[in-house]
Amino acid sequence: MTPTPTLRRWWPALALLLATLVCFALGGVLDHGALDLGVTLLCYLAIAQAWNVLAGFGGLVSLGAAAFVAAGGYAAALLLVHTGLSWPLAVVAAPVAAMLLALLLSAALLRLRGDYFSIGTLAIAIALQALIRNWDWAGGASGVSLPVDSVPSGGNLFQLAVIVAALAMALTLHARHSDFGLRLAAIRDNEPAAAGLGVAVRRHQLAALLLSSAITGLAGAVVAFQFVVISPDGVAGVSWSLNAVLMAVVGGAGTVLGPLLGVVVVYYGLTRGLQNEQTLSLVIEGVLLILIVRFAPQGVWPMLCRVARRLLGRRSPSGRPTADRGDEEETVPSGTEPLAVDLA
Amino acid sequence: MSLDVLAAGILAGGLYALIGLGISLVFGVLGLMNLAHGELVIGGAYLASLLVVDAGWDPLAALPLAMATMALIAYPLQRYLLTPLLRDSKSAPLVATFGLSLLGQALFQAAFGTHPKALPASYADTGLSMLGVRVQTVYVIAFGLTVVLCAATHLVLTRTRAGSAVRAASADPGTAAVLGIDVNRVYAMTFAGAAALAAAGGVLTGVAQSFTPSSGLPLLLTGFAVMALAGIGSVGGVLAAGVALGVLQSVSVSLFGGGWRDVVVYLAFFLVLAVRPQGLFRKAHAA
Repeated sequence: MTPTPTLRRWWPALALLLATLVCFALGGVLDHGALDLGVTLLCYLAIAQAWNVLAGFGGLVSLGAAAFVAAGGYAAALLLVHTGLSWPLAVVAAPVAAMLLALLLSAALLRLRGDYFSIGTLAIAIALQALIRNWDWAGGASGVSLPVDSVPSGGNLFQLAVIVAALAMALTLHARHSDFGLRLAAIRDNEPAAAGLGVAVRRHQLAALLLSSAITGLAGAVVAFQFVVISPDGVAGVSWSLNAVLMAVVGGAGTVLGPLLGVVVVYYGLTRGLQNEQTLSLVIEGVLLILIVRFAPQGVWPMLCRVARRLLGRRSPSGRPTADRGDEEETVPSGTEPLAVDLA
Repeated sequence: MSLDVLAAGILAGGLYALIGLGISLVFGVLGLMNLAHGELVIGGAYLASLLVVDAGWDPLAALPLAMATMALIAYPLQRYLLTPLLRDSKSAPLVATFGLSLLGQALFQAAFGTHPKALPASYADTGLSMLGVRVQTVYVIAFGLTVVLCAATHLVLTRTRAGSAVRAASADPGTAAVLGIDVNRVYAMTFAGAAALAAAGGVLTGVAQSFTPSSGLPLLLTGFAVMALAGIGSVGGVLAAGVALGVLQSVSVSLFGGGWRDVVVYLAFFLVLAVRPQGLFRKAHAA
């Protein structure tokens, strides 16, 4: 009972569209607490997916998501506070600001290889946080307060977050099913070989960096609206960078649905579920991460897929070329070997 | 610009170098970015606090014990957890060390609480005059100890059989293994050595300033900055980079005020990384 090729190609997009519409409609139904929780989860989802596109598909392991959350969040907040623009315009400014920051830094960042890229992004994030602390126009260390009546809240904010998360999911689907994504994965798996086959390495990495930071910046604007008080510790804190990595890796970097699972497990299960047991929550997060990279290095979602397939007795035929990207779990493993050599 | 500022920067740079040396060693030999290095540093400080605060030892007497204990804790972590991961995907070891970092913070919280602690010592707050310049005694001690530890590390790496094995495993683990070097053991020994250096840095940091379970992150970032400045493979470069960072920090504080110390340091860190990813002080060929 194989679906026809056209259907197979379009069902993820249709499913995403349907899920988006359902979530959008939920914005009018849910109570205040659920909406607030929803906004937080959706923001984490957008940021984790943006990291996933850059690192999971593009192989550029960033530790600096916080820089782009801050760029977007501060751009939207400062526009609202200092110019009195309406919030939809401020939201549009957020990804633009984040992309400008990415463009400015790309000349330096994309020269860095492997772990150096990670360290470079980490340096950017903490440098930006330190800069904002000293920037009086942006409120300095104590931050700025948004005018409460001119920012969306409740159902409207939730619907905005749904749109942002849907864009992030759409970008991930694109990275997984398009030629662009295939070339990006080729660069990740073996850069010299990809370049030798005519892939424009720098251009594809730049595109991934720009798209990823645009989504992260958008999520930053939503975070800013949710927080109302925008401070360097809240919006530019290192925890955004670390959570993006944590959630995507727990769920499964380089897969479409993995980060979704990761967000729910890490935020809802650990951070929120154990918020009165901070020490215990930290212990579980730490142990969970170690167990996952040790025993399920591709993440929880691909592992679940494998288990489900075995239970259903439906194994993928071995003769199938890896270029067939219909099955969720098969994107990651092929890339691990050449990378392991780089490490040495 | 007064000489006091310069001297304070140079001396503080010694501590940065000590913290950066362990990070640089692990990254240079194992290719591992250890996000738990800050917790190794703070772990050393907490271990020493058991002897110093509760039993009344002098921090310098507790220092060798803290170093040895951290090394004993670190060895099996590398041997049985991190080394097997180095063969896996690119982000696995990085994420595992992040997990260790969270776990370390949680253990410190559970064992010692979240209140700031410090290691009391007679020389913690006193100053002394050297060549007409006022400096804090503890930083002079820290600097001297750093130079000794850096020299010892350099000599072990270049003059001993074990050091040759480390350099061989660093240059080409495959060939080293063929030649009969137990690469996994070398990796674990290197990590244990880095943990011992981290613990020494932690004890000295604990005397100079107070620390909490979450103090590891800024120390980790400073260590990365030192490594980025120094590049991989040169112990002398690490010392020079630490001092350069300390001077840069102390000069920028006196010029722009306390709020700018981190901005200047991290921007310099990024610029150096972008312009010379191999570091400022790297030798022509890696050791």
